[in-house]
Amino acid sequence: MSPVDLRGVDGASTLRAARQPRRIPHAMRTRRQARRRARQLAVALPFVLPSLAGVVAFLLIPVVIVAVLSFFHWDFLSPPHWAGFANYTAMSRYYHVFHALEITAYYVLWNIPIQTAIALGLAILLNRNMPGLGLFRVLYVLPYMSTPVAMAVVWSWMFNGQFGLVNHLLALAGMHGPDWLGSTSTALPVVAMVSNWQYAGYNMLFFLAGMQAIPASLYEAASIDGAGAIRRFLKVTLPLLNPTLLFVLVTDVIGSFQIFDTVYVMTQGGPGSATDVINYQIYSTAFRNFDVGTASAMSLVLFAVILLVTLAQFRFFRHRTTYEVS
Amino acid sequence: MAAGTAPIKRHPARTAPRMRSRGPRPLWYGLFYLCLALIAVVFVAPYVLAFFGALKPASAIYGSSPWTPPASLYTGNFKTILFSDHFLRYLGNTALVTTVLTTGQVGFGVLAAYAFARLQFPGRDALFSVYLATLMVPNVVTLVPLYTIMREVHLTNTYWAIFLPYTLGAPYTIFLMRQYFMSLPADVFAAARVDGASEWRILTRLVIPMGRPIIVTATLIAFVFGWNNFLWPLIVTDSNSQQVLTVSIAALQSAFSEQWNLVLAASLVALVPLLVIFAVFQKQIVRSIQLSGVNR
Repeated sequence: MSPVDLRGVDGASTLRAARQPRRIPHAMRTRRQARRRARQLAVALPFVLPSLAGVVAFLLIPVVIVAVLSFFHWDFLSPPHWAGFANYTAMSRYYHVFHALEITAYYVLWNIPIQTAIALGLAILLNRNMPGLGLFRVLYVLPYMSTPVAMAVVWSWMFNGQFGLVNHLLALAGMHGPDWLGSTSTALPVVAMVSNWQYAGYNMLFFLAGMQAIPASLYEAASIDGAGAIRRFLKVTLPLLNPTLLFVLVTDVIGSFQIFDTVYVMTQGGPGSATDVINYQIYSTAFRNFDVGTASAMSLVLFAVILLVTLAQFRFFRHRTTYEVS
Repeated sequence: MAAGTAPIKRHPARTAPRMRSRGPRPLWYGLFYLCLALIAVVFVAPYVLAFFGALKPASAIYGSSPWTPPASLYTGNFKTILFSDHFLRYLGNTALVTTVLTTGQVGFGVLAAYAFARLQFPGRDALFSVYLATLMVPNVVTLVPLYTIMREVHLTNTYWAIFLPYTLGAPYTIFLMRQYFMSLPADVFAAARVDGASEWRILTRLVIPMGRPIIVTATLIAFVFGWNNFLWPLIVTDSNSQQVLTVSIAALQSAFSEQWNLVLAASLVALVPLLVIFAVFQKQIVRSIQLSGVNR
């Protein structure tokens, strides 16, 4: 970086400035500056305005509205009433929001570690120079291009207790499969498995790109020092994948906390409350019970939880060494 | 690994035994590819089985071996689904909404990304950090207020309500494109400005052709989002005429929960277009996904 700030300096204006007499009155200079800024704005505004309107109207204003609504009793129809913190207390007293958060946390735990481990494993398998691996890479990514609602239907069929393929296959092996989606102990893992199936190959792509960016010389150096395959993975690959891992984990965890489509199709929050994840509860509170205030309060709690978890991940990865490889 | 030969020569004693054991081992190769193929089966099987199920009459799907390929291609399920109710209309609704959403999100996104990457204007960096900050807002937080806004302006149960919130540009793809546009060589732009090209001309003649890979990425992200979107259309439409495919599949599933042959056929109507797109553009899609992982 040069110490002189050259932003906004173009050839023409420098020339013009050089031809001017040395002392330009201050007022005139600021006026000229203001005119230049106005001209810049006039050029840039048409480019920025549409997306700015979108960000303000559909992201910023809604965040303000949701915060305001969380302090009101409202059912979308009758006029809203001031509620103070009543919605925040109702949230835990009548809607068991902490139970829902707990279930969501279990969902995230069934989803993220398995999905990330599979993705890493697949990337290790495919990160080599052998013919035909491109085909397998494509096949593993295929599920990413599927509609979660439609795929949830297909998986519901396969895990159906009576007619499902899974139990048919188990019967062939002489086992009696459970009613997967109808039992409180298996419903949540099965729903999480659908996401694992859909996004493992997708995440593999990021790990593959990360691994291919690691210079071969590092592996050679490690081999010469007598490091075996496992040590090379732990001491070279994994540390250098830290930035990729952080990116994958942060984006996946944010998505995982908001799981909705598969739950809606496969279990409707049941059996009992076994899959009553927070997003499903926000939906039913707002659009089935029409308790807008409490649903808003729940949204804010989820927002806070996601923020905290994301920050925790950044902190965790910051305390681990990251290496710059040029 | 040609580069590896030099250091190995320097340590012949240590590396020689390893090299010998690394000869061609057909058994190992066979096992490796078998392993890859078995994994591929896990990822592909649900599609294949869904096709098998959807191409069978109801009697066969409840038989003792529902995973077998259909004896004859029975298209009755697809006919029932496609010509019943308004299913074709729902398919059209999804296609329409997704097209508008994708066009708008990518078009307006390119404009914004270009301005943030290549234009000078007061407040640019502050404004961009506002865009970045909105990346932290989870979708679900804006659901209730967005619905409230749409009700206030009487847009519920219209196509507008379904696509409008996502059509004016998405901060995530604007961010991706801005990073890419910033990495384009600066002297090309300087030369164009010296030649007196307008910003619009620079955008259409330089940035869009040069930024093609990242624009493909943004298009893919927008398209998949629009096609798969479920929760928002579910909330904001409750009439039949604007219903999209995902909402109608979920409704079918709860209405005909025990008619798997029909529900599977309906799901495949949503899945097949994505499969076709994937088959045609698989190289670009794989590359574009990886592109969204770097440049961050």
